[in-house]
Amino acid sequence: MKMLRRDHAIDHFRSRITVAAVLMLLSFGLLAARLWQLQMIRGESYAQMAKENRIRILRLPSARGRILDCKGRVLADNRAGFTFSIVPGEIASSRELVGAYAGLLGLTPEKMRHAIERSRSVPKFISFPLKKHLSFEEVARILTNGEEMRGVAVEVRPYRGYSFGESLCHVIGTLGEVTPEELSQLSHVGYRSGDLVAKTGIEKQYENFLRGTDGWAQIEIDAKGKQLPPGSGFPLGSLPRKEPITGCDVCLTVDVALQQFVEKAFGNRAGSVVVMDPDTGKILAVVSKPGFDLDLFSPSISQRDWKTLYKDPLHPLENRGVRGLYAPASTFKIVTAATALAENLVNINEKVECKGAFEAAGQTFRCWNPYGHGQVALHRAIVESCDVYFYKLGLKVGVDRMAKYAALFGLGNPTGISLPEELPGLVPTTPWKMRTYGEPFKDGETLAVAIGQGYMVSTPLQLAVMTSAMVNGGKLLRPAIVDTIKSSDGKTVFAHSPVVRGTIPLSDKQMAFLRGAMEGSVSEKSGTGRRCAVPGLRIGGKTGTAQVIKLREPGIAEEKIPYHERTHAIFVAYVDGKDRKLAVAVVVEHGGGGGAVASPIAREIITQFYGKPQAEASAR
Amino acid sequence: MMQHPKWTPHTTTSLEWPLILLSGVLTAIGIGLIHSATGPIGYAGRILVLKQLTWLGLSLVVMTAVLLVDYKDLANWAPWVYLAALLALVAVWGFGKMTAGSRRWVELGLFTVQPSEFAKLAVVIVVARYFQYRSTLREPRPADLLPPILLTAVPALMVRFQPDLGTAGVIALTGLSMIVFAGVGRRELLWLGGAVIALLPVLFLLGNRLLLEYQLDRLKTFLNPDHDRLGAGYHIIQSQIAIGSGGLLGKGYGQGTQNTLMFLPVKHTDFIFSILAEEWGFLGCVVVLGLFAVLVMRGLAIAARARDDFGVLLTFGCVALLFWHAVINVGMVMGLVPVVGVPLSFVSYGGSSLLVSFMAVGLMANVSMRRSHYE
Repeated sequence: MKMLRRDHAIDHFRSRITVAAVLMLLSFGLLAARLWQLQMIRGESYAQMAKENRIRILRLPSARGRILDCKGRVLADNRAGFTFSIVPGEIASSRELVGAYAGLLGLTPEKMRHAIERSRSVPKFISFPLKKHLSFEEVARILTNGEEMRGVAVEVRPYRGYSFGESLCHVIGTLGEVTPEELSQLSHVGYRSGDLVAKTGIEKQYENFLRGTDGWAQIEIDAKGKQLPPGSGFPLGSLPRKEPITGCDVCLTVDVALQQFVEKAFGNRAGSVVVMDPDTGKILAVVSKPGFDLDLFSPSISQRDWKTLYKDPLHPLENRGVRGLYAPASTFKIVTAATALAENLVNINEKVECKGAFEAAGQTFRCWNPYGHGQVALHRAIVESCDVYFYKLGLKVGVDRMAKYAALFGLGNPTGISLPEELPGLVPTTPWKMRTYGEPFKDGETLAVAIGQGYMVSTPLQLAVMTSAMVNGGKLLRPAIVDTIKSSDGKTVFAHSPVVRGTIPLSDKQMAFLRGAMEGSVSEKSGTGRRCAVPGLRIGGKTGTAQVIKLREPGIAEEKIPYHERTHAIFVAYVDGKDRKLAVAVVVEHGGGGGAVASPIAREIITQFYGKPQAEASAR
Repeated sequence: MMQHPKWTPHTTTSLEWPLILLSGVLTAIGIGLIHSATGPIGYAGRILVLKQLTWLGLSLVVMTAVLLVDYKDLANWAPWVYLAALLALVAVWGFGKMTAGSRRWVELGLFTVQPSEFAKLAVVIVVARYFQYRSTLREPRPADLLPPILLTAVPALMVRFQPDLGTAGVIALTGLSMIVFAGVGRRELLWLGGAVIALLPVLFLLGNRLLLEYQLDRLKTFLNPDHDRLGAGYHIIQSQIAIGSGGLLGKGYGQGTQNTLMFLPVKHTDFIFSILAEEWGFLGCVVVLGLFAVLVMRGLAIAARARDDFGVLLTFGCVALLFWHAVINVGMVMGLVPVVGVPLSFVSYGGSSLLVSFMAVGLMANVSMRRSHYE
């Protein structure tokens, strides 16, 4: 009986299924009827609306944020540029367009036809820039003579303007039109063909902050493609609109006045200077020479200028402050000495004899002073930069211990500064040598490392960070180039605070000894850094003269050596001022000796920073 | 006249190919439309197409899995399926991803899923199970309708407060269709109709409190498109221009001006039908609507042939689900129904919706291939 009941139930459903089928078919029929009404009966008028009373989404590009120095002086901001654009989908006849505008734009008809051809690759109703950077005269001519044509527009687009020419060019960085490869990755975050995107420097590092957010507006246009005044076209009332948001301002730690002074002091040489505050890690000036004129890149760099810069043997596009790799040379003796002190491998009173050369592994290793330093202990070895003392010390300490302390001083690793192109340098170790050359360190190579030569390379910024650690209590700081980031409504989005990456494991007494030696190098008569002495200021320094080729007979006059074989002049210094400390690293490429060439530059910078009157006053 | 059905557990009839093929064709059309709709945004658009293809693959696998389980076993699991769906809806409150002011998605590693989509199927299954249970008892009483109304209302209200008015509406309409289909006699139907008419003013007052501002705006706009021209009304007008300007044959693939100019912000999801109408015209639309009509009729035919209450109700529930989706979505883009944000099954971009649509097809095919069990 139960089964009977089930069958009955299903029969009862059957009639209901029929009803449901009829109702559902009726619903679909109703939808089809509505479709017929919209598409077939009113189709014509809707098609007309779609064609003529078109609403266009106009992109309202955001203004890029500015780049400022620590005192609010503008380094990079925006200026207005005019662009002639076409909307490919609205051009009735490209021949007419060429006829009407080629002359006004100063293009040959041939060139203009090519540009129009290229515009077919973008979506039909999106404006395509045909000629950029119109002069005011061209704009005026186009606006007065070029009316009554559909699908053309003169648009205002911003470009980057720079207030200080070459100053800080590497740090600020350049913008360029987004390339097709970049576009394929960036289109989903709102970049469009023709947009500017940062390529290098701060501009690149902080692109997301600087860029801002584009807005949009719906505008109504008539059959000629002209914008209609609001409310006069298809009755839609006022159209929606979203205002663009200006990008954040990025304020650097650099002081442009000091920067310009340092650039002047450095003169027409090639190389780099980094000036930093050892307590906060803020970079106060960073020079890389030769540089380039930022205005060359804005609105866009010409093929010829680019080639000239790119092929220049002095590489003006490179930021030597973070990318220049130089042997630290004798400045590394600070690290060698620190290693020996921390590992208890040296007695500071024990004397070593320097006869001007040292025999090891069947080779002769010379001291910079061919006459020798006689009997030297550690203090004088640093003050007078005795190579032989450090050859012997280096053999005792060994390459891997030196590498360990070099890393503690920040060498061989990126400093973490917020610039996109930084290089880490190199501190050689036994495992590295095995990996790279398949053989262990030879004694001769260890000797070279002890005086900062050989495989070892570092950037000027790393040297400045290392020097800072000597005067801030052994803290290895992350150098900072950006002080604050402020959004366009004035809120602070980011503010710098010092980041300590590590501590140098030296006792206060050992640190004081090293500082004494570095200060002796500047203040003592025989010190190699004596040209940096400023009366009244406590300055510690260390010179370095980096060999570029392996060996050279001593005694050849500097002028007779070809430029690219001359030594790099290096000088690092700190100032232990009462109110403010300072760390400076100077590298002059192929400049000669560190003491003779680099230390006077450091002196000028220090004198300027602390002010001559103050220095003289405290001397009294 | 009456033959006693014979239980033969190991026989199944052949697979319901027409149903599966119909869904496949609709999905293929959908992917073509998504490609066209997302063309103007370039690279990101191609990723959406790839994602939809991935979801299609996953949907086919899950549908096959659904086919392998005897639907009669599903009847026993119904309460657990329902509970799991409710828990998932609760989880959305806790861990949901906020987009455009509402919390609908839950992130699961590579994909984000929308539990409310699965709640629809859970309601279909549990309501079918309830009526199967009731048919074994006594003569029906009006009070018996209370449990299925509650079973529908709880998830519908949870979804409505995400807030997702469209999905909540689909859940409510599907549940209600099943209740009317299964449980309401002619006299009760009259009572129900009378009660609804009497309650309308009350509902209207409650509506003002229950609906969020933008939902109210959309309803008001629907009743009077001039009410808010630049907000919700703008979409309806733009969508109608797109549909209307399509004419008989349409403007051709990727050539819709309303499409390439990016008038409709959700054109690859909820407004995909307007792209179809603009680019393929009246003919294209009639083909797609026809495919949906055939799909629905085919489903009802399966319901008519099913051999037990649960099979009939389960199939009818799935049919109702797909039907309401199609009618509400197409009605919405043509200005017949308020803009509530309901995807067009199979065609619109959206993984959870596609997966659930294919699961519904799997359930119907399941019922179809196991009807011989009683013969």
